[in-house]
Amino acid sequence: MSDTADGKAGGQGNGNGAGTRTIQVDYLARVEGEGRLKIRLQGDRATEVQLAIFEPPRFFEAFLRGRSFREAPDITSRICGICPVAYLTSACNAMEDALGIRVEGALGALRRLLYCGEWIESHALHVFLLHAPDFLGYPDALTMARDHGEWVQRGLRMKKAGNAIVGLLGGRAVHPVNVRVGGFYRAPTRPELETLLPELRWGREAAAASLEWMARFSFPRLERDYEFVALRHPDEYAICEGRLVSSAGLDIDVRDYDGHFEESQVPYSNALHSRVRGRGAYLCGPLARFNLNFDQLWPESQARARAAGLDVPCKNPFQALLVRLVEIFQAFSESIQIIEGYAPPAVPFVDAPVRAATGYGGSEAPRGFLYHRYAIDESGTILDARIVPPTSQNQLSIEADLAALAPELAALPLAEATARAEQAVRNHDPCISCATHFLQLAIERE
Amino acid sequence: MATLGKRVRVIALGQQAAGDDAVGLAVLEWLRTRHAVSRDLLEEMELMVAPEASALVPLLETTAEVVVVDAMLDLPPGEVREFAPEDLARGGPQPMSSHGVGVGQAIALARLLAPETVSPSIRIVAVTVMRPERYEYGLSPVVAAAVPRAVERIFELLMRG
Repeated sequence: MSDTADGKAGGQGNGNGAGTRTIQVDYLARVEGEGRLKIRLQGDRATEVQLAIFEPPRFFEAFLRGRSFREAPDITSRICGICPVAYLTSACNAMEDALGIRVEGALGALRRLLYCGEWIESHALHVFLLHAPDFLGYPDALTMARDHGEWVQRGLRMKKAGNAIVGLLGGRAVHPVNVRVGGFYRAPTRPELETLLPELRWGREAAAASLEWMARFSFPRLERDYEFVALRHPDEYAICEGRLVSSAGLDIDVRDYDGHFEESQVPYSNALHSRVRGRGAYLCGPLARFNLNFDQLWPESQARARAAGLDVPCKNPFQALLVRLVEIFQAFSESIQIIEGYAPPAVPFVDAPVRAATGYGGSEAPRGFLYHRYAIDESGTILDARIVPPTSQNQLSIEADLAALAPELAALPLAEATARAEQAVRNHDPCISCATHFLQLAIERE
Repeated sequence: MATLGKRVRVIALGQQAAGDDAVGLAVLEWLRTRHAVSRDLLEEMELMVAPEASALVPLLETTAEVVVVDAMLDLPPGEVREFAPEDLARGGPQPMSSHGVGVGQAIALARLLAPETVSPSIRIVAVTVMRPERYEYGLSPVVAAAVPRAVERIFELLMRG
């Protein structure tokens, strides 16, 4: 979609006297959608930070009520062009929970491979085209490509390799149609999957080289005491399933999500803000996964992370850039292993009798935990639906990041402060299209 | 119109579940299914979908003429407009339906990174829409009515060469 009205990025100041200042940017580029970020600074203290996201009311219940449980994955996957696999998987998990289905073995491996493809394509897009320009001082990927075309090319090629996985397993790269509750409509043959290997092997090395390169970037100093929230799996770096854990000791079944998290509205935004009940803001996404599940990364991924200067705990949100590259490396490595060890399943999906039930499902979308809940009746008709995307969950933490960044923003010239604030928002790769559609940014100093 | 006498790639952008944002996809569907488009003509056309603008970059690498079809936020809704990539440069209409890489940027990026292989002819046909306010399938009547006009515009610009 194109916009003739708001399409500009820039800053404007009103008041630059001692201790007070106002900065405003009308359109925040390189994040999806539209919203407005307002930062009011008094001296080096933020007196107000508002990330106002214009979220369409989540009429998922109306959207899905009356439809068959089998349709939920496909319908919800069309909410976002970047992370359809996350929606497919969380919806399948929820329906499988309702029906008592377990997807394991070769089918589970195929589901993980599909998700690895999405992590690769989504992370590569964000790292190379959206976030790296911030660290190198370029206004956008196009300008960066004039000086660093080779790296942008590598990023796009990695993204293409991720898309190829999704395309092969999902039936098409855009919105996968081969995924169903219980597995797949058709399982690929081993020779089909093996056609992916050369690019995956190249991508693994390219991810490693990119991590080495970007580790040399200058990272703003900011340490935040987040409550990290992510899935944790006993045997692997959690992607498709697991228990929901946090750095503050939470350890729950996904079914208990509603009991431990709450959403509320704020007057300046129509998007919902998530909180841990009784505690407040939390962070999901790559940084949370890295901190909570570092021990589940493969040894080579761990070694490359450490060589890039990362360690646990990693509390600097700007280093999420590097964490995404570690996850790309891990996803390429796992994809290769899954294909090399693949034996087609006896049947492409697991089925079960339909029953009236409520199902709960979650998975680790590239940006963080994506929660689905559905109630279905005895015929499998959806009665109720709830979806909580990761961007909504991270909104409060993004605001808190900007408040913590206030001393630096106050000390920087207007344009640099604006750029730094935008960069800080992009640390979390907000996928506003999952939560809303458009974003604008304004910073005020008074 | 029997044939165009050349290869054409039509690429639609948009989200099916975001109401009028899906108008590009509807244009593609019209091309694919309506009898107004002859089989011979259809055989000259590659119909493709890009889920977000950065996905355009590899799709623009073709010797065929390319037409990108997208929704565009502007009033009144239901108008069909045509742009050259240069019109979408900084200061012009800014794409909003990608993760921050717009249609204009994606085309410029493709031209910068793969100047030898990018299509020599890229044009954009957009249908104006109001801001989608909820997740829903299907187009509003006024935008749905613009779909055949967008198809006509595509053929017009292809015939102009």
